Amino acid sequence: MAKEENRIIVEHVYKSFDIYMDKANSLKEKLLFWNRNKKEKREVLKDINLTIKNGEAVGLIGVNGSGKSTLLKLMTKIIYPNKGKITTNGKLTSLLELGAGFHPDFSGRENIYFNASIFGLTKKQIDERLDNIIEFSELGAYIDNPVRTYSSGMYMRLAFAVAINVDADILLVDEVLAVGDQHFQEKCIAKMKELKEQGKTMVFVTHSLGTVKDFCNRAIWLNQGEIQMDGEPEPVIDAYLKATT
Amino acid sequence: MNLVKDLYNYRELLKTNIKKDVGGKYKNSVLGVLWSFINPLLQIAVYALVFQVILKSDIDNYTVYLCCGLIPWQYFSSVVLRGAATIIDNGNIIKKVYFPREILPISVVTSEGVNFLISTIIILGFVIFGGIGLSWNVLWYFLIFAIQFIVSIGVSFIVSSLTVYFRDLQHLLGIFIQLLFYATPIVYAISSVPAGLQWIVKINPMSYLIEGYRAIFYNKTMPDFQELLIALAMGIVLCIIGYFIFKKLEKKFAEEL
Ligand SMILES: Nc1ncnc2c1ncn2[C@@H]1O[C@H](COP(=O)(O)OP(=O)(O)O)[C@@H](O)[C@H]1O
Ligand SMILES: [Mg+2]
Repeated sequence: MAKEENRIIVEHVYKSFDIYMDKANSLKEKLLFWNRNKKEKREVLKDINLTIKNGEAVGLIGVNGSGKSTLLKLMTKIIYPNKGKITTNGKLTSLLELGAGFHPDFSGRENIYFNASIFGLTKKQIDERLDNIIEFSELGAYIDNPVRTYSSGMYMRLAFAVAINVDADILLVDEVLAVGDQHFQEKCIAKMKELKEQGKTMVFVTHSLGTVKDFCNRAIWLNQGEIQMDGEPEPVIDAYLKATT
Repeated sequence: MNLVKDLYNYRELLKTNIKKDVGGKYKNSVLGVLWSFINPLLQIAVYALVFQVILKSDIDNYTVYLCCGLIPWQYFSSVVLRGAATIIDNGNIIKKVYFPREILPISVVTSEGVNFLISTIIILGFVIFGGIGLSWNVLWYFLIFAIQFIVSIGVSFIVSSLTVYFRDLQHLLGIFIQLLFYATPIVYAISSVPAGLQWIVKINPMSYLIEGYRAIFYNKTMPDFQELLIALAMGIVLCIIGYFIFKKLEKKFAEEL
């Protein structure tokens, strides 16, 4: 496949959620109370415009509730915008929430198959990557235990190990990295640097601004659903710190 | 077509899902296998008792007649009931990862299809040991099955996506299926339906399919191809409408669940 220049294009995207005070979920309630369905619109993203190019490593920063996770979910197509358009080119993998795409009763090993198949890998492709994934996860003998017995750190190790081994062109990572211990976080960052060198595109959310400075070549600061600033990490982080402290 | 490409790319997920469904039923328990035969057999026994012994149906070989309709009907009813639950049951992954959502209803239809293939042994058993015997016409089974598969896909697209918005539809469907059972020529023959009510039977694609299965197993004749064509046309229309509804509604699945 020819190298795509633009990996993610976000054009005039608006997203709002309906907040129901008392949600009618059944047909009966919908018919009976159709006019009493108190609902409030909460605008979470407003007129977002972004173009992320091949090989970029983007750090997404902003206070809690500023819309970072929502933006990542829109990019993965878990949810859709109310207005505007999002285009992605290439294979996309995301690591948004712990335990996403895992079956609690399956062993770690079985979950590698399950999780990787959700990302669109075939059995043969997973077979080839299995050893790498297990090794990266450092789960050792735990790999054959059911994942419901895992700690959140172990969950994250497994999820990350799968996500970086599916050969995606675009990798989206939410705050999950934070639950790993120091050693594993460093290992993940090192791996992400390696992927960046291979020309993969990455967008990740973190509150560790040092990591953004060190690893990203672009930072985007979201503030109350709008892009406050977008550019070189250094000035964006400085402005962000000034505004929040 | 995008759907075909998606299904091909995500074939492993589809396979895993189907295996989980079918395997789950039969996995390491003799009872599991036994159960999947006992359940339909019990139903056949009950209906045979009611309609043959008590109501004195005048259809020859009534148990065999019944069985040819009941087993395909069970496939249909499982598709509706399990299809209606599949998006809700998988809410957790839908909220957290992207994958083509169509995989879920398609897995239900396929895994129930595999179960139906296995249950067809019951029909064969009744036909062979019930004094009717087999003819080459049974090979039309695969054609009728294929049409039922298409009808099921369409129906599963519709029920799986609608129930996300109307949760009690799941319960309503349970009742609806029971009513539809009596509106389909399973325990009786089409010919005994009064002319004024024939339309109810005729708008239901399952009627034509069950007539088809009955032709090849019970009557040992060719199926009525005109009827099968009608069922196929209905199936295609259901698939188109169903896909359209599904595509429209899937955008809000993650938020509604
Ligand atoms: N499914 C949802 N329904 C209603 N409100 C939501 C939903 N998801 C997110 N929100 C709201 O959207 C805002 C942004 O959330 P989020 O994107 O998770 O922020 P961040 O990841 O930056 O902390 C928050 O105010 C949150 O309450
Ligand atoms: Mg968040």
